[in-house]
Amino acid sequence: MKRFLSVLLTLALLLGMVSVSAVAEGQEPLTVVVYDAAANFHGIQPGWFGKVVKDRFNIVLDIVAPQVAGQEIYATRAEDGYLGDIILVDKSDFPNLVKTGLVREITDKLPECENIMKFKDQIDHYNKGLTGEDGKYYGIPTEMTDTSPTTLTDNVIYSSPMLRWDLYDAVGKPEIKDLEGLLDVLEEIHKIHPTNEAGDPAYPFSLWPDWDNNDDMSGPANVVQLTTWYGEKPKRSAILKPDGTFAKIYDRDSAYYKIAKFLNHANQRGLVDPDSGTQNWDKAVSKMSALQVDVMWYSWQTGFTNVGENLPAGKTFIYIPVGDQSYYADADAYYGTARMFGVGSKVEGEKYDRIMEFLDWYASPEGLTFQHVGIEGLNYTKNEDGTFTRLHDDALANNLPVPEDYVGEDGVVGYNDGNNQINQWIAGASCINANNGERFASKFWSSTIEKELETDKAKREWQQTFDATDPVDYMKKHNLLNASPSVGFAPPEDSNEIKALRAQINTELCTYTWQAIFAETDEEFEALWDKMIEQLEGFEYEKLYENDVAVYTQEVELKKAALGE
Amino acid sequence: MQKAERRINYKRRRSIREFLYILPFLILVALFSYFPLYGWIYAFHDYQPPFPISSETFVGFKWFNFIISNPTRVKDILRVLRNTFAMSGISLLFSWFPMIFAVFLNEIRCKPYRKFVQTATTLPNFISWVLVFSIAFNVFSSTGAVNVVLQDLGLISKPIAFLKSSDHVWFRMWLWLTWKNAGWAAIMYLAAIAGIDEQMIEAAKVDGATRMQIIWKITIPSILPTFFVIVMLNIASFLNNGMEQYYVFQNAFNKEYIEVLDLYVYNIATSGTGNYPLSTAISILKSVVSVALLAGANGISKLIRGEGFI
Repeated sequence: MKRFLSVLLTLALLLGMVSVSAVAEGQEPLTVVVYDAAANFHGIQPGWFGKVVKDRFNIVLDIVAPQVAGQEIYATRAEDGYLGDIILVDKSDFPNLVKTGLVREITDKLPECENIMKFKDQIDHYNKGLTGEDGKYYGIPTEMTDTSPTTLTDNVIYSSPMLRWDLYDAVGKPEIKDLEGLLDVLEEIHKIHPTNEAGDPAYPFSLWPDWDNNDDMSGPANVVQLTTWYGEKPKRSAILKPDGTFAKIYDRDSAYYKIAKFLNHANQRGLVDPDSGTQNWDKAVSKMSALQVDVMWYSWQTGFTNVGENLPAGKTFIYIPVGDQSYYADADAYYGTARMFGVGSKVEGEKYDRIMEFLDWYASPEGLTFQHVGIEGLNYTKNEDGTFTRLHDDALANNLPVPEDYVGEDGVVGYNDGNNQINQWIAGASCINANNGERFASKFWSSTIEKELETDKAKREWQQTFDATDPVDYMKKHNLLNASPSVGFAPPEDSNEIKALRAQINTELCTYTWQAIFAETDEEFEALWDKMIEQLEGFEYEKLYENDVAVYTQEVELKKAALGE
Repeated sequence: MQKAERRINYKRRRSIREFLYILPFLILVALFSYFPLYGWIYAFHDYQPPFPISSETFVGFKWFNFIISNPTRVKDILRVLRNTFAMSGISLLFSWFPMIFAVFLNEIRCKPYRKFVQTATTLPNFISWVLVFSIAFNVFSSTGAVNVVLQDLGLISKPIAFLKSSDHVWFRMWLWLTWKNAGWAAIMYLAAIAGIDEQMIEAAKVDGATRMQIIWKITIPSILPTFFVIVMLNIASFLNNGMEQYYVFQNAFNKEYIEVLDLYVYNIATSGTGNYPLSTAISILKSVVSVALLAGANGISKLIRGEGFI
């Protein structure tokens, strides 16, 4: 018995050694600190994505997230001279990091990164703008696309009025001339749909204030985005008109005023959720998912409703044309979105090699499939021709358990829990997957489109009604779309004085716009608007406006050049 | 001669020893009360991370001028100070509330019930403000418990937007604060009541005093010193009425009345990409107001008691 035990123990020991050496083969374990302005998670990357990275590179990602830990962490870590090993910051911060030496030059290694260098044109464009020299590299833009600066790949634009098809159908699919006409239709819809099936009150509009003043916006996010329905795009305190000129955001002939007034009229007709000004984003999402809203305006909002049982029932949201509208949309982010990847200045030697290797994988077809699609067997299956078919649409929403081979040492099983917490990609989802010739985003797959037409009742009927394949197709046919080219422009960081002006002006703008939306009468609305203008001018709006116009005129010039005007 | 010298030596050694006794406390005060004042230099620089401050970033009183030179901004700060004073003032005015609560709690005869009340009122103290707000939202939103009950009873036809309302913000904030803190604040008084000499109360009972009389003549006078200590502590933190509570309850509709100094500093420092110099300048302003308050309280104390405390 004893001998048997000792043999067993020796065997166990040997096996243990074998498995240990399998992990450590070649490379020592390495912890890489990722300073990550995009992350909503602070700490060691958990779960399946953690395991994927660990298995391939023996790297553990330690994510430092200012959005979680507080923006102050930027100042303290910068003072310390070490932000992180991989650095992901806003584009406007990046030049300062280069100037203060917190980011290292990657000229020697970047050209060897085959996958990243597929975007050489874009990377050269950014780094030349940064240093003024050719062939010197510091930053890698995020979410670049492989199309062109003027292409619009998407079949839905970022913001457009979207109604629930079955309800719109039920009120007789009336033609909508303008915003008041839209409210008439919504009023009809509200009459036949005062509650959802569970009996909870439903309102056409349910707004939320959490995002106000975020992402370079001035004012309530829900108002700012809707201005694009009339071709106008707020550039902070200024608003860009379709003809390339600027106006003050509060002007009574700007789309900002028009939309605020529209939401106010909606509220006067009892079409706005009374909790709009006080509920948080989570609450707003739960209402969208529970079909307690009748209109949507962000393209991604449909992700909460256009799924599962809702599709064959036609309880899905889709763009409905409004006669007097013509839309502003950003073309593909060819030159990247608002953030920038870099490598920390304290990264040297072998660590540097391994980090660059990791980043290159991060932009490889395999890496991007993990980021944009997920896990084979859980999120997709491979067809014979190499293309994918979508599985389990709800993996993220319902945090489905991942296959056993993807459960790491930390034992985290949930798909969402273990999802890539870096939360930003080098290549966008509309890029072509070199392994199968289709885009990464599943909505473009032939298998998805085929299935969609089978199940999506609304889409089928919509196509017949409006004689177009998708919303963008309709807009293009009717010449309603102004796709603004990608130029990779990032405004320089504000000076402290401008920051101070902006902080107070944005707050006032939000406060009064919200109050105006909930005004009881038109007179009260106008009075609040007047009061707002007075306050804004008191806080030296003029100075801020001049600053913003000067900054964004540069962008307009670049866009004109890109269009060859 | 030698004797005198020895005595001086002894005295000196003793004073050094006694100094060593208080040294740790001096170090603590220096570290946690004086050293942070070093941070004030940010108010005199054009500090923008990641660039460190240097002689080039020095701007003198620019940020103070920025506040004072613009009438709208001055008005804004006065509004914030008004809110701070009002809400601290209301708390101060009602600081007898936990005391009376403790006295009444002490009078409950049924022990299990008393324990229950005490536990139930103390528990909210351990709930964070964020959770308090989610409770508030579930109870007072348009589909919350209160509105549902009122609508079912037919008292109202449309839900009342309690959280959005800008009426009685200061008082409502005091109610939330009291709901959260009253039980906890009563603990001090309960301890003080436990310290009252039983003989006094028994003697009063023998003399035929009623319960109200015992409360009025014995319990309250005995715990008044505790009350005054707590009021003094409250005055000391007059401007520090915290920001968590106001932060979670603030929205565009009640901001006018809810924004207190701490919250204002936070809103300015963190909105957008953060402005450290200006928010430091405003918090220096807070210290100035504190010193003024202290001098005022000291003056009043001199007038009433004939001596100040500084």
